[in-house]
Amino acid sequence: MSAVSQPLRDASPLPTEASFPLSAPAPTTPEPIPATTLSSPVVLDVRDLKTYFFTYDGVVLALDGVSFKVRRGETLGLVGETGCGKSVTAFSVTRLIPDPPGRVISGKVLFRGIDLLWGLDAEAKIKINPKTGRAKVRRSFRRIKAGLERMSAVRGRGISMIFQEPTQAMNPVFSVADQISEALILHQGTHLVDEMMSATPDAPEVLPAMEALVDVTRAGGDPDTARRAAAKVAEAVHLPSFGTQSFYLVRDSELSSEDMVRRLQRGLRRTYLSRMERRYLRYRRKRMVIEDELHDLYLSEMREGRVDRRQRRILRGRRTRLRLGGFYYGVWGIRGRIQRPLRDEAFWRTVGRLEEVSIANPVQVAKGYPHELSGGMLQRVMITMALSVEPTILIADEPTTALDVTIQAQILELMRELKTRIGTAILLITHDLAVIAEVADRVCVMYAGQIVETARARDLYTHPLHPYTQGLLASIPNLERPDKKLSSIPGSVPDLIHPPEGCRFHPRCPYAMPVCKEVRPPTTVEGAEHTVACHLYKGTVAVE
Amino acid sequence: MFRSDTAPALITSYNLRKYFPIRGGLFSTRIGDVRAVDGVSLDVRESETLGLVGESGCGKTTVGRLMLRLIEPTSGHTYYHPSPETVAKLESLYATLKGGVGGGDGDGGTGGTPEAQAALKDLDEIADQYSLYRMKHSKMKELRGKLQIVFQDPFSSLSPRMLVRDIIGEPLAIHHAGTRSERAQRVAELVQEVGLNPEHLWRFPHEFSGGQRQRIGIARALALRPEFIVLDEPTSALDVSVQAQILNILKKLQSEQRLAYMFISHHLSVVRAMSHHVAVMYLGEIVERAGTEDLFSRPLHPYTQALLSAIPVPDPTLKRERIVLKGDVPSPAAPPPGCRFHTRCPAVMPVCSHTPPPLIEVRREHWVACHLYPPTGGEVVGVPIPFRTTAVGTTTVPQAS
Repeated sequence: MSAVSQPLRDASPLPTEASFPLSAPAPTTPEPIPATTLSSPVVLDVRDLKTYFFTYDGVVLALDGVSFKVRRGETLGLVGETGCGKSVTAFSVTRLIPDPPGRVISGKVLFRGIDLLWGLDAEAKIKINPKTGRAKVRRSFRRIKAGLERMSAVRGRGISMIFQEPTQAMNPVFSVADQISEALILHQGTHLVDEMMSATPDAPEVLPAMEALVDVTRAGGDPDTARRAAAKVAEAVHLPSFGTQSFYLVRDSELSSEDMVRRLQRGLRRTYLSRMERRYLRYRRKRMVIEDELHDLYLSEMREGRVDRRQRRILRGRRTRLRLGGFYYGVWGIRGRIQRPLRDEAFWRTVGRLEEVSIANPVQVAKGYPHELSGGMLQRVMITMALSVEPTILIADEPTTALDVTIQAQILELMRELKTRIGTAILLITHDLAVIAEVADRVCVMYAGQIVETARARDLYTHPLHPYTQGLLASIPNLERPDKKLSSIPGSVPDLIHPPEGCRFHPRCPYAMPVCKEVRPPTTVEGAEHTVACHLYKGTVAVE
Repeated sequence: MFRSDTAPALITSYNLRKYFPIRGGLFSTRIGDVRAVDGVSLDVRESETLGLVGESGCGKTTVGRLMLRLIEPTSGHTYYHPSPETVAKLESLYATLKGGVGGGDGDGGTGGTPEAQAALKDLDEIADQYSLYRMKHSKMKELRGKLQIVFQDPFSSLSPRMLVRDIIGEPLAIHHAGTRSERAQRVAELVQEVGLNPEHLWRFPHEFSGGQRQRIGIARALALRPEFIVLDEPTSALDVSVQAQILNILKKLQSEQRLAYMFISHHLSVVRAMSHHVAVMYLGEIVERAGTEDLFSRPLHPYTQALLSAIPVPDPTLKRERIVLKGDVPSPAAPPPGCRFHTRCPAVMPVCSHTPPPLIEVRREHWVACHLYPPTGGEVVGVPIPFRTTAVGTTTVPQAS
């Protein structure tokens, strides 16, 4: 097994002290991850991606040869008008395109060298009648299902996603804590269980630490001292989440000091695991390990480009046996009681995560349901969920479009901070060039399903090359230069069932030449990290 | 509050209030109010644009609708084309009331000094004569042609069952403007004015893109040659390139037809490009009002400062210091006592939590409601603005012409 399992993340240790707010009391800045350079490893390499939608009106060529790279710790912005294929790109990369009608037709999505689209050709046979433009798609649902199962190895820890509408992306019938806990247990379950099992509630230093915490809190003063005291308790118990729990227990309670210490000790009860609970946790851990091994197997299958049927059979057999063997843990009546410690642990970890995204009253928010929260709060909850698993890549699809400017500023600040702390690569999709200018390192400009220009953010705004980019930049009302007359791009985005021949921008382009109507312009290199697809420029053709 | 030495006001509102009831409990009784608009006074001057900005839920749209009497206010009055004498009288009456009835409560107040009682009676008389909200429906219908609105969402504000021709021609038909052929001619004119083709007249709204639908909405608003148009976030559903087209059309129409706009938006860059004056709203109240240049270069209220510093600048070579406000907007059903912004204000003082600051003119044509600016402080030059933009490199944006 070890031969095939290569860890998903870089050799970064599992999240322990560094990401835990209570054990890092003073606002220390962890060593910043250096700004990305050309030498940073490429974590996502999309090559010549084509996604079509097969509709009654014809085939919509939503993505027509999209290529870009995202490096570790980098923010790549993807901008363009409505309907240019930004979101389709994100959904294609994560294989979330609704099928039918859509399908990724060809291309490669290399996630740290693993082709996520492997096996795609076998999933469906597509015949397009060149005369009528109608298509026949014959899908193999067995293979599609297998492909989606393989993707589960990448989703979460590999690629996480924030969706545009936070109100629609959350499940209305589960509490916020339940939804974040699910992600935590799914992706960091083994680590969570290990910590619970190694807690030391009997340690002699626990009681003095608790008394200190109660005294500090009752004396008033700034919350940071209380936090530090709570961190001491957590250290004594060897369970970070207990620090969060005791901090809020003491803060929100009116009990006298002695009673409060007793109350805290009762709270500690969840870390004394009964024999049954320990057995259940060991059992859960085994199942989590099996899932991880299966995910590693899927990854190695995608990397090597073949299915290891024997290994699959073995692992799935083990999984089934485990499930059957543990059926009595799921029996109504005992299930709630044995699963309680794990749920509590996940809950308090969730509260800790919510604290990190500066939510004022995380306990109430965690207990609440999505409809009780405002859009900005929900978006922060979504970000918490996406980043709680510390993904290699975060795809943010218009994360601030539905929000007000003041809330937008909070969210962008948060994403920037998390990027430097965790080193996540971000693919930021938005139509707002100003947002891109604030946070992106590099920018890809999309038009009608193609990338027309890629450049470092500063180069793009100072020396835009493609006429479309120039038009877009000139049409933003600029706060600094309000007197400038707004110029606009005439016309609107073309119909992608019958896109214009040659360069797709030529009907709206002020510099259109005869050649533009016939030949699709190649992507040429026009400077460091600057490529453009336009006949006006005659640089060397970029190598994909 | 308004000066008489500037351009005459086209439409003026005093102390507008709109409380939406919250019903609940047994028999759905009224258990509270959402104070969507709470004491807003505004004027829009002839052929000028007043920008109204604020976060979502602060009552911008409600103010727009109140000024057109699309909804009835809880209290307050709006005057269309008030004569200078009326304005002067109203000003003096409201000034009397401010001393007599606590907190400058415009109307509905009881008690107070005899002068205040008399002032209230006078106000009532003027309102009976001129206020939009006391007008008979027949009279109001005449006025509706002069007061128009363009809605935010171009996808739900056009009937999907009507042809574009009928949508644009409907206001004309309702007001019996001209004969049928004259109306058809006017519709054809309007379509040209907003940059659509005559062939578009025979299509249905679903056949158009968002930008084109918004043009149809504008043409409909223009049909009866209005003098005042409320633009309720007309471009927030559109892409930037299309947004620029719409803004340019609106500016062109304003200069050609001497229209007055109230431009409601949360997008400050757009407001700056469009408006002559800007009013900033927070939680149902106006916190600052000034000329556009004045407001954007020397914002006084801490909320305005935070709002301005939060705007992303489309230029990575410019870095600015940013005031990131903590927390969310409080619920308008239970607004904080005192200054409504004090829960999030970076410059909060003890007085803010119990006394609401009055809206005072601290500089010529610059009103602000904040305890930082004392009413008798003389000339306020402007506090040090805590945000600024610094150029990191040179910028040249070539324009595609």
